[in-house]
Amino acid sequence: MTATTAPKAALGVLPRSDGSAKYSHAGYTLTASVNGPIEAQRRDEHAYEAHVEVIVRPAAGVGGTRERHLESLLQSSLAQLILVKNFPRSLIQVVLQIEDSPENDYVNTKLVQASLNFAIMPALVQTAILALLSAGVPMRATATATAVAVVHQDGAKKMVVDPSPREVETASSVHVLAFTSHNGLLLAESEGDFTVGEWDDVYETAKEICCRSTPAKEGTAMVLDDEEPSATDMRQFLRSTMESKVAADLHWK
Amino acid sequence: MATGHPIVLPGETIDPSLIPSHPKNPLRLGPGLRHIPPTDIVPTVAGQLITNPAKNSMWIEYNSNRYIPTPSDLILTQILRSTTDAYLCLLSPHTAPATLPHLAFEGATKKTRPVLQPGQLVYARVALANKHMDAELECVSAATGKADGLGPVGNPAAGSGGCAFDVSLGFARRLLMARSRAEGGVGVLEMLAGEEGGGLAFETAVGRNGRVWVGSESARTVVLVGRALQETDRGGLGLEGQRRLVRRLVREMR
Repeated sequence: MTATTAPKAALGVLPRSDGSAKYSHAGYTLTASVNGPIEAQRRDEHAYEAHVEVIVRPAAGVGGTRERHLESLLQSSLAQLILVKNFPRSLIQVVLQIEDSPENDYVNTKLVQASLNFAIMPALVQTAILALLSAGVPMRATATATAVAVVHQDGAKKMVVDPSPREVETASSVHVLAFTSHNGLLLAESEGDFTVGEWDDVYETAKEICCRSTPAKEGTAMVLDDEEPSATDMRQFLRSTMESKVAADLHWK
Repeated sequence: MATGHPIVLPGETIDPSLIPSHPKNPLRLGPGLRHIPPTDIVPTVAGQLITNPAKNSMWIEYNSNRYIPTPSDLILTQILRSTTDAYLCLLSPHTAPATLPHLAFEGATKKTRPVLQPGQLVYARVALANKHMDAELECVSAATGKADGLGPVGNPAAGSGGCAFDVSLGFARRLLMARSRAEGGVGVLEMLAGEEGGGLAFETAVGRNGRVWVGSESARTVVLVGRALQETDRGGLGLEGQRRLVRRLVREMR
């Protein structure tokens, strides 16, 4: 449940939407649909750019304040990536449905109103990006995201990538970072107590996962072997997923 | 995948050696690419980069479902309603309607103009597409004043309404290719009309906006052709798969 499994994705799972993606990683499973550019409601209409609407639906119940908060974070990040100026007065709608989230082994939780936390943010970002790519919405760049928790254990400090719910509970701080494919920092949200030094360490760890330059050379591979193998290369994952989708679409070439 | 046609993601840098350089012709950028002055050419969608050195052009080949109007595209549209001087038409669901002026038909004048009811399907050309304005359509060539096959399709009153089917934009593009069997790998229509389909009689109008109209004397044929097109699109069938599909559908329909 809490094991760091390799991410999995399927594109175009919803036939009636313009683009869709199903993504599962670190215990989270999400489905996203993207529609757009479509006609915006009068109150959302902007004269010079497209309105990006993000809706996060929890696995059970209706969304509350936490979901609205995540939506606003995602909305501002995605609006940076999408070429919104290409589609004035229109709407690009991203709906993210959470299907499954990892269970906490220590606390007996009933599936009631899902209380979201930052650990789900990377999955939300990844699913939204995959769905946007699947819909062919013009974008400036792609993005990858990861969550890092700082856990103090036996007096030692430890970075946990893609923390489990238990680790989020015991962690002194949880951070979510997203990077664009140009290695720019897109999103940085933190929760808990931490020092500037810790944040710098978190930044380096996250950057290693999100921005690793494709095929790791021999020298870097040696260094990586010493570290825990949890670090999945998100950028490579995104690329291989899209490569198989494009190859399937253009089978006639 | 051949190195000549790499798969690109939005924002990736394109290898300068792949950009065609022609001494005289200006470089033409097709769909999916944008030029960031002064020197950058960046893809905006995920797809395969195709270059044509002879025409000094490059574009991204990809498939999607949402049509974005582009001038001189042939599209199949549905009339929503009429205003004083134009019809409002639907290009794709949930988008702002396009305008089709009453005078943009062959031989139309202020006195004589075609009367089209809401719901009527029209095969038209995109005359004007601008991101700040609703698209404008025409059913007549501005140069020659001829319709060239454009205009209302199907006549429900005469019992030959036919039916419009939704396909993906990439499939519509393949159907519209001049040599769709050789270049696009779609032979399903030829097969249906030919030996495999037992010589079915039907007519089609393919819109770049992902809608295909099929008309025929018999409703059976309309449904069969439409299903064959949709299954070819969704299943990603090759020529051999299409032949098998046509045989199966014709057998089931008997």
